Amino acid sequence: MTRPKIELGDVTPHNIKQLKRLNTVVFPVSYNEKFYKDVLEAGELAKLAYYNDIVIGAVCCRIDPNNGRKLYIMTLGCLSPYRRLGIGSMMLEHILNYVEKDGNFDSIYLHVQLNNDVAIDFYKKFGFEIVETKQHYYKRIEPADAYVLQKTLRNKVPNGEEHKDGK
Amino acid sequence: MPSCNPLPPKENSLFKRILKCYEHKQYKNGLKFAKQILTNPKYAEHGETLAMKGLTLNCLGRKEEAYEYVRRGLRNDLKSHVCWHVYGLLQRSDKKYDEAIKCYRNALKWEHDNIQIMRDLSLLQIQMRDLEGYRETRYQLFMLRPTQRASWIGFAMAYHLLHDFDMACNILEAFRKTQQVTNSYDFEHSELLLYQSMVIQDSGDLEEAVKHLDRFKEQIHDKLTVEETYGALKLKLGQYNEAMKHYESLIERNQENTLYYNKLVEAKQLTNNDDIFQLLTHYISKYPKATVPKRLSLNYVSGDQFRTEIDKYLRHGFHKGVPPLFVNLRSLYSNTEKCKIIQDLVESYVEALSKTGHFSLQDEGEVEPASALLWVYHYLAQHYDHLGDTMKALNYINAAIDHTPTLIELFVTKGRIYKHAGDVLEAYKWLDEAQSLDTADRYINSKCAKYMLRANLIKEAEETCSKFTREGVSAMENLNEMQCMWFQTECALAYQRLGRWGDTLKKCHEVDRHFSEIIEDQFDFHTYCMRKMTLRSYVRLLRLEDVLRSHPFYYTAARCAIQVYLRLHDRPCTLDSEQQQQNTGK
Repeated sequence: MTRPKIELGDVTPHNIKQLKRLNTVVFPVSYNEKFYKDVLEAGELAKLAYYNDIVIGAVCCRIDPNNGRKLYIMTLGCLSPYRRLGIGSMMLEHILNYVEKDGNFDSIYLHVQLNNDVAIDFYKKFGFEIVETKQHYYKRIEPADAYVLQKTLRNKVPNGEEHKDGK
Repeated sequence: MPSCNPLPPKENSLFKRILKCYEHKQYKNGLKFAKQILTNPKYAEHGETLAMKGLTLNCLGRKEEAYEYVRRGLRNDLKSHVCWHVYGLLQRSDKKYDEAIKCYRNALKWEHDNIQIMRDLSLLQIQMRDLEGYRETRYQLFMLRPTQRASWIGFAMAYHLLHDFDMACNILEAFRKTQQVTNSYDFEHSELLLYQSMVIQDSGDLEEAVKHLDRFKEQIHDKLTVEETYGALKLKLGQYNEAMKHYESLIERNQENTLYYNKLVEAKQLTNNDDIFQLLTHYISKYPKATVPKRLSLNYVSGDQFRTEIDKYLRHGFHKGVPPLFVNLRSLYSNTEKCKIIQDLVESYVEALSKTGHFSLQDEGEVEPASALLWVYHYLAQHYDHLGDTMKALNYINAAIDHTPTLIELFVTKGRIYKHAGDVLEAYKWLDEAQSLDTADRYINSKCAKYMLRANLIKEAEETCSKFTREGVSAMENLNEMQCMWFQTECALAYQRLGRWGDTLKKCHEVDRHFSEIIEDQFDFHTYCMRKMTLRSYVRLLRLEDVLRSHPFYYTAARCAIQVYLRLHDRPCTLDSEQQQQNTGK
């Protein structure tokens, strides 16, 4: 029997409503029109995940407006029947590959609700660490506190190394 | 230029220039030369010049003046073939074919052997299906130009269309003998041979048809048609062993053609279900990837054996995620036993998949894809919808939507369930939902528009369609231009339900016009197909056009229009109701 096919696809004005539907079901937080408008401009930083040709997950990131060398994961999620099938990993790896190729990012970070152990374990597996706790981060859900999870992408490298990269 | 009123050399050369200008579409210049002749008082009433002036004016869109001049020219020179030919061309451009034929005939009376007029006449005759006349004209053309290929073909075809198959065949055979056979790929020769084969088959002489194929198959490049024709002929001739070989080789070419399997069963003279099943099983193991033999085999088993086979078939479909699985199996539902077996099986999958991820509680090993349960729910929704159990159908489709709320097919199915239950409004809302989830999907967009029309929401339907029609034009106009008849017939019926009789009739007449246009468009093929030698397709086209108005779209529009006209006859619109209609109208 064939294995299920998992692949990533672009978010377009034609299918954006599938992303909205997905986010409404997956996340307790609701996102405004501005969020979706930006997503359409995000290119490789916003992707839909397909499982046997059905949209079942999505990842949306943006470059930190205050610090252009930091990437922020706004959402990364998957419909519950399709969890633990490697879809989240595929999306996160796509983003990690992207920042690695780009080469201009120092770090990548995100917020996660304090009690979301599954998510915390997931990100730790990819080298993320809890760097901060934000009180009352969420407005309408309990618990309202959030961890900031962060992965540092490059340590301070010797100057010579940087020159070799042509910087 | 034989005419009762010949022009002197100077004027005659001017006249020739008018003809040249007409051919080269330099109409303005043509008019100038005509004026130069006509301003001379001696030739102010010169018939042929007046006629040519008229024909030129017609090309500039000045139809009324055109008729005036052409008629005046003809009155002045009734014995001129030019005047008659011109009058014929004018009527033809005005689609008055019967009149045009008369004109050409008159023209030929004064100029017997004019090939151009004869060709024009033959085109009109075939267009009007004046087959006797067509044969006569093609005969004349053949006698005048026996060396041209088109003369032979047209001559033969005239007899073919008149069902004089022997004559048609003899002409084709005589022509074929004049052809030199080359080794290179000669498509036109191949088509000629296949056309000849078609004529022989139409004559009913099947043995002769087989002989013909035997003789020429090497020169025919359309190998598939050769094989299919052999199969059909030998089956009809009762040469079953031979027929069998041809269908076996056809299946080898294409394992997904249902017809080939059915014909093979016929050739093997199998009537017993078990034997047919055995045959199909052989092909299932020979071509494990082919779907057709698997599906067909389900028609020939029952009871426990059916349960075993359908179980495999269903599991495969759900594993893979085959959206039209239900449609594929629906024809089995006429058998209540099979329907029950399917229902029991699929319901057992729900339980097992929810608990263990397998299709059955006993299964072990790798679990099924996460989407399997979703497709099972979707199937059951359609299953119960088909059986008329709306509540169960809705329960299953809602379970599917809860499981995967991003799958567009689910919303289409949900809309269809409401449609079948008679709730057109709720139905269209779900289609609109489906449509909004992928606005690049034209199929779902059209389905949505159709559901809107069923709910009498004409404006909304037009707006939905406008996402795929040309920008800058109203969608309604563009849909008419594209001959989008599913829309127009549904739209007519919606207007009819709303009692907007005028709008209803407008839509019905638009549909009628499309059919007239399709018949009109035939005209170009009379010359094109002869030139390209696509003679089989051409004959099929002629036959299609002969019964064109039996098409369901035409039937729907005609019935709708008849109902409205009868209604208007029985209860003519009063002024009040007319005003009311205008108010509710656009």
